[in-house]
Amino acid sequence: MKITDLILKIYTVLFLAGIYLPIAILIFFSFNESRSKIVFTGFTLENYYSLLSNYAVWDSFYNSIWTAIVVTVVSVFLGIMISYGVTRYEFKGKNMLDILMLIPIIIPEIVEALTLLVFLIILGIRLSPYTVIIGHIAFDISFAYIVIKARMAGYDPQFEEAARTLGANEIQTFTKVTLPILMPGIVSAALIAFLQSYDDFIKTFFTRPPGFTTLPVYIWNMASRRGFALDLNALATFIVVISIVFAYVRLKVERW
Amino acid sequence: MSYAVELENISKSFGEVQAVKNVSLKIRKNEFFSLLGPSGCGKTTTLRIIAGLEFPDTGRVMLNGEDVTDLPTHKRNIGMVFQTLALFPHMNVYDNIAFGLRMRKVPEREIRQRVKEMLEIVRLEGFERRKINQLSGGQRQRVALARALIIKPAVLLLDEPLGALDLKIRQHMMVELKKIQKEVGTTFIYVTHDQTEAMVMSDRMAIMKDGVIQQIGSPHDVYMRPVNKFVALFIGDAINFIEGTYKDKGILSTDLGDLKVPQLEGYTGKTVILAIRPEKFFLEKNIPSDIDNVIEGRVIFSIFRGSFVEYRVELDNGQEMVIFQPYLVAGQKIYGDGSRIKIGWYRDSAVILSH
Repeated sequence: MKITDLILKIYTVLFLAGIYLPIAILIFFSFNESRSKIVFTGFTLENYYSLLSNYAVWDSFYNSIWTAIVVTVVSVFLGIMISYGVTRYEFKGKNMLDILMLIPIIIPEIVEALTLLVFLIILGIRLSPYTVIIGHIAFDISFAYIVIKARMAGYDPQFEEAARTLGANEIQTFTKVTLPILMPGIVSAALIAFLQSYDDFIKTFFTRPPGFTTLPVYIWNMASRRGFALDLNALATFIVVISIVFAYVRLKVERW
Repeated sequence: MSYAVELENISKSFGEVQAVKNVSLKIRKNEFFSLLGPSGCGKTTTLRIIAGLEFPDTGRVMLNGEDVTDLPTHKRNIGMVFQTLALFPHMNVYDNIAFGLRMRKVPEREIRQRVKEMLEIVRLEGFERRKINQLSGGQRQRVALARALIIKPAVLLLDEPLGALDLKIRQHMMVELKKIQKEVGTTFIYVTHDQTEAMVMSDRMAIMKDGVIQQIGSPHDVYMRPVNKFVALFIGDAINFIEGTYKDKGILSTDLGDLKVPQLEGYTGKTVILAIRPEKFFLEKNIPSDIDNVIEGRVIFSIFRGSFVEYRVELDNGQEMVIFQPYLVAGQKIYGDGSRIKIGWYRDSAVILSH
């Protein structure tokens, strides 16, 4: 009993360390004075200043945000529609649709990205920020679908009937009952879709036009060109913090 | 006389299945009316047609004398308590109850007053700010009731709302529902598969089977004068059937001998079923001198049920009877297994059912 407890504790600590230690080190060294990644010589915010004064960072940050917002809105909207249809109605090919919605999550992203690029070339579509957005939606919609469908599965259609017997018309029923009850699922789906898009590298890299840079792509460019610089540590820290905030919000919303 | 609800020749099919077959009903104002039957008998569909949640294939629905057959639910002014209750989880008790009035654009000041009154009626004063998941089963029941009643519906429809409660609370809620119905003076239509609920609460009830109404009547009527074997079996704890051929002058010829039965016209020569409730029998010394029928049997076993003793008795033709004897005096004699006993009953305690 005691020994297994101990083993479990050690394993847990090692496991969590494996995940979080690199991130912690990264954050730690983003405050390092010297360019060394091994020796901490002194605390400074210099890396953050240089980051904030870098126009290219702002530009790619802006691109990341606006594409993520468009992707999120479209994915969540379609996710609501499809999951509503699948949970509420019986139709031919329903199971097929359900499976098709999951496939983008299962297929390796590199394969998806490559096939998408080939597809775009065949159709003769020029790469643009919109091809990036299409690429993101093509699999973010699956995440939105899964999360919203899970919420809908526990949703009793009698809520809507109850609203109607109380005098609510279709629109009032949707806005006052259906939407508020599904809201935690929708918010959760939106956060996941946003993070997926905002974090994405492979798809963006394959489908972006020349000169269109998002944050992950920018980091890749910097890292591949001149190794890991300190302002890159600062930038990565920035991304991690945003992700953690989102994850935290999502956790809160789930518990509604 | 005007009725709260009238159904005229209502039929409804779902694909191949005909859920409701040519149902006609007239439900009086301020009546507690139950639709009773086993699952799949069409009672819930009938209720949903009154609510406008389903539309009939044929027939008409009238509310307070007005044809509402094609009117959507939200324009019908009906209240409904659902099986799952369907209380809005994102609202507190107050907002749930106020929902119907808000849809009707009633001023908030009046809403506050009416919610307060409603909470008094269902005895949930002080629960306004509670979340739905902080309420017990019985309390949720009351909120659902209050939410449906506050809009002063022409009729309140209840779809097995007590199904999820345990026995004690259910018994309590039955009486409570009946009281509330008397207090608010609204027509209640109550759907249930539980005959006890229907018997306890109803002024009248309709018993349904396979989408067809078998009998409409008061609890007394359906218990004492069931129209067929199905109703006789469905209502009450138990019933005994004896088959025979109807002779003239109220005599039934059976393999237990000739029995005196209710006098009826037009049954002569027909094979019929005599139905007798288990509490209608007298045993041994308790048999009055003017009794109409006496037969003999052997006690197979007895069950002490508290207020009465249940006997299983085998008759000479091998048939088994269920007999309830009230347990009136402490130490009262209980006939032992295997003992032979005389069984008597009055002719008018039994009912003739056609085969």
